[in-house]
Amino acid sequence: MVFQKKVKLISSEKLTSDLFRLRFFCPEVAKGAKPGNFAHIRISQNTTPLLRRAFSIFDVDLKKKTFDILFKVVGLGTKILSEKKKGESLDVLGPLGNSFLISSKEQNLVLVAGGMGIAPLMFLASYLVKSEKIKREKISFLYGEKTKNNFVCLGQLKKLGVKTVLTTEDGTKGFKGKVTDLFLKRRIKLGIGKNCFIYSCGPQKMMKKMSELSKKYDLFCQLSLETHMPCGLGACFGCVVKYIKNDTTPLAGQATYKRICVDGPIFDAREVELD
Amino acid sequence: MQERLSLIDLKVKIGKIIFKNSVLVASGTFGYGEEYSELFDLNRLGGIITKSVTLNPREGNPPPRTCETPSGMLNSIGLANIGIEKFIQEKLPFLRKFNTRIIVNVAGSTVDEYLQVVEKLNRAKGVDMLEINISCPNVVEGGMVFGSDPECAFRCVKSIRKATDYPLVTKLTPNVRDIGEIALAVEDAGSDCVSLINTLVGMAIDSKTKKPLLANITGGLSGPAIKPVALAMVWKVAQKVKIPVVGIGGITNTEDALEFLLAGASLIQVGTSNFIDPQTAIKIIEGLKNYCKGNKISKIKSLIGKLKIGD
Ligand SMILES: Cc1cc2nc3c(=O)[nH]c(=O)nc-3n(C[C@H](O)[C@H](O)[C@H](O)COP(=O)(O)OP(=O)(O)OC[C@H]3O[C@@H](n4cnc5c(N)ncnc54)[C@H](O)[C@@H]3O)c2cc1C
Ligand SMILES: Cc1cc2nc3c(=O)[nH]c(=O)nc-3n(C[C@H](O)[C@H](O)[C@H](O)COP(=O)(O)O)c2cc1C
Ligand code: FES
Repeated sequence: MVFQKKVKLISSEKLTSDLFRLRFFCPEVAKGAKPGNFAHIRISQNTTPLLRRAFSIFDVDLKKKTFDILFKVVGLGTKILSEKKKGESLDVLGPLGNSFLISSKEQNLVLVAGGMGIAPLMFLASYLVKSEKIKREKISFLYGEKTKNNFVCLGQLKKLGVKTVLTTEDGTKGFKGKVTDLFLKRRIKLGIGKNCFIYSCGPQKMMKKMSELSKKYDLFCQLSLETHMPCGLGACFGCVVKYIKNDTTPLAGQATYKRICVDGPIFDAREVELD
Repeated sequence: MQERLSLIDLKVKIGKIIFKNSVLVASGTFGYGEEYSELFDLNRLGGIITKSVTLNPREGNPPPRTCETPSGMLNSIGLANIGIEKFIQEKLPFLRKFNTRIIVNVAGSTVDEYLQVVEKLNRAKGVDMLEINISCPNVVEGGMVFGSDPECAFRCVKSIRKATDYPLVTKLTPNVRDIGEIALAVEDAGSDCVSLINTLVGMAIDSKTKKPLLANITGGLSGPAIKPVALAMVWKVAQKVKIPVVGIGGITNTEDALEFLLAGASLIQVGTSNFIDPQTAIKIIEGLKNYCKGNKISKIKSLIGKLKIGD
């Protein structure tokens, strides 16, 4: 069930120079949201910016009936959002989109986050640990940033007790290189193979790379994709990704377009074609 | 209070069809209705115009398909749709359940293709009216070609007129020299009314990457940015033709809707604004009711074309 509601901003926290965490009071989203879902938020009451902006659900608190988003200031919409004050109300549509497929077997789970990709994966990691279906030792979290100061949530990851491996492009913390390089290097050590569930979110280039690697090694990897989303409801066909079904049905191998907002944002990495 | 309000007559009649109020939702911005059905009661709308449907399913243009521009947006969806067969089987049964007017928007690349779609719709249940899209700027063949030349527009609409008993509303493109001329041509061809405007051809460029923001390079501009253009065209066409005019373009609130009625529109359609606030149409319906009440207007009809020019 999708809701449209005016929700109250409970808190706004600046985590790094351009990263913010907002908490909203919204029982419907707190209760309904699953890892991978997103909220579509109206930024302004006038016409700039005109359209809503999409943000992954980063955390929920069932008792306090709140949900959080984590975002980076990249343009006007996120700038305005970062200036919203506690007590203000925002028009939110949510929870939207599909969610990560949660494995019910005992198997290795690898979460691969690049930059802002941490947002949906943090929610997933907490969800997995809380569900207690999977031993936390089975969960690895690979997390890449450009540089040391960009990391967020490290304390939370530690608390969750999942195996965390960090990497920076400039080598200021952890492994040096991109998170996809780390993924490749640690493939064997982390037990990444056919029976493993991989979850990944990050910039478009990284998603393309993860998709290529998943195809090459035939890995089950779920990507959380992003694009401009005018409606977020499946109505406008504006948010599509090229999709090729990977199974044995008659439609297998045929390219179509899928809407990221309702058929996604979570897709099997072997089934999408990214530029 | 509720009773007093219900004395206000929001109904509008076009040909034999009665609309319970003047507010419809525009093609391509409301999917097949179901996408919005969890958010409000679709029964409250004056009418729903479905996404353009073509004979065969269409995948549409490559992404990126949309981008934001000042007070507006560009789209180059390219008539992505599920095709008429699936539309009738899978989408129409849902829409039929609602007590609102269902208008099916039809597109094609040849006159014959329009006719085949119409022929299939003739046998379908639950359709009140057809909107003939001769104005899509985002496809290579057909679409806007039919809407840019009075003779082509006449021929296309005339053939459809002969092929169906459904009331027809022909949707016009603003990307022409004289929209009044096209409106007259489709009136002559037997269209029961005209709707305007479809999107204006537009473009956006990223100066950093030196690339266009849409994969299709150009797209159609919609939203508040186009309202003044739409108003002028509605006003112009309403002067020219005797058939009713349906106003579309950048309508986001009650004032916008009133402006279109004054300019001569009998009905209005809400498009891009459905994305920004899915409740826009409902808010406008309530707003029109309150406006009538506040101004002691008993029938909304009496506002149509009442623009005051001069002293
Ligand atoms: C399902 C989904 C979940 C998302 N989750 C998060 C999240 O948890 N945290 C977060 O910080 N961001 C997230 N995003 C991206 C976020 O929506 C954009 O950063 C935001 O819309 C930018 O708005 P703006 O007005 O600040 O930027 P604009 O001025 O609109 O654009 C600035 C730059 O960012 C690019 N951009 C804008 N919107 C998007 C988009 N939707 N996807 C990719 N690139 C874009 C533009 O092309 C431009 O280069 C998500 C997007 C989607 C679709
Ligand atoms: C994403 C999008 C898709 C559209 N698809 C169609 C379509 O399939 N058929 C059609 O006749 N008009 C289509 N339109 C045009 C709208 O119905 C409307 O004429 C136009 O957007 C102007 O109104 P607005 O400013 O209120 O959006 C589309 C518009 C948008 C924004
Ligand atoms: S954003 Fe409109 S269909 Fe996805």
